[in-house]
Amino acid sequence: MVELQFFGLLRMLLKRERIELQPVEKETVAQLLARAQQQLPYPFLPRLLDDAGGMHAGAIILVNRQNVHHLDGLHTPVRDADVVAIFPPGAGG
Amino acid sequence: MPTSWRSSLRGPGGDDLTEERYARQVLHWGEENQQRIAAAAVLVAGVGGLGATVSQLLTRAGIGRLYLVDDGIVDWPDLNRQLLYDEGDLGRGKLRLAGERLRAINSTTEITLIDGRIDEHFVMPAGLNAVADCLDNYPGRFLLDELTPEGIYLVHGGLEGDHGQVMTLQSGRSQPMAAIFAGICQPEGHIPVTPDNVVIIAGLMVNELFAAIYGQPKLLNRCLVVSLADFHMAFLDV
Repeated sequence: MVELQFFGLLRMLLKRERIELQPVEKETVAQLLARAQQQLPYPFLPRLLDDAGGMHAGAIILVNRQNVHHLDGLHTPVRDADVVAIFPPGAGG
Repeated sequence: MPTSWRSSLRGPGGDDLTEERYARQVLHWGEENQQRIAAAAVLVAGVGGLGATVSQLLTRAGIGRLYLVDDGIVDWPDLNRQLLYDEGDLGRGKLRLAGERLRAINSTTEITLIDGRIDEHFVMPAGLNAVADCLDNYPGRFLLDELTPEGIYLVHGGLEGDHGQVMTLQSGRSQPMAAIFAGICQPEGHIPVTPDNVVIIAGLMVNELFAAIYGQPKLLNRCLVVSLADFHMAFLDV
């Protein structure tokens, strides 16, 4: 299974901390998120991605602790037992 | 090594005021940890919302040495959450005020004021046990992490609205903060920050700073994500 974790405002909006999805061969982060969206009651993707499918600059996505920015972005492959976390950190101090 | 936490202050009758000052907390964490705190040096980057409370709690607890870094002045929007300042301070530099207030709280803490900001010219003091990231912008945070000496713990705090996070990194051994938060941009405009959230995140940071001083940080390579909207906390491994 692939575990998708939600933090901060996303967790609040979705009313859940995590979901598990069956792994799909050659699936990317973007495809995983789109598949997750179909199972969730709140349309969270517009808060994460812009109209062109790029990531908004207010959240990070980690795959097994690594920011996808340093992997292959939204094209990063996701495999069985991977943990994908979405986190919008607070910027103020 | 600084002197024992017991020996600093004497009352008119020769009684040990320092021992009385810390009596309630020593009941909880013991003399050995009190001694560790008294021997420790922490750099607090930024004495705004988080930093004003972090530095105050460390000082009240009897931290040995405190280095404060800031170059800001007190403005009206600061007064809702920056607990070291009041209306009479408007227009004055935060750093000097923080030094005055903290020395009045605990004269046994050695406080060094560094007037400036975290930039490429900043020179990190030697002998630190931990660094507290109380900044309000990502470029400064990333640089602070980069400048933190190898092996030293950096305790990061950040907040926005109802949410906040605390995370500990160990320089040279953890992922760089710039790698963890890669792609994040500073939000445009003012960030929503409330007094309750600031004090809660600052309190968690200080709890973690004590743990780091004891050599056992609880949030090493973990981000504690706090939501005040429903009193929820979760760990994010980084």
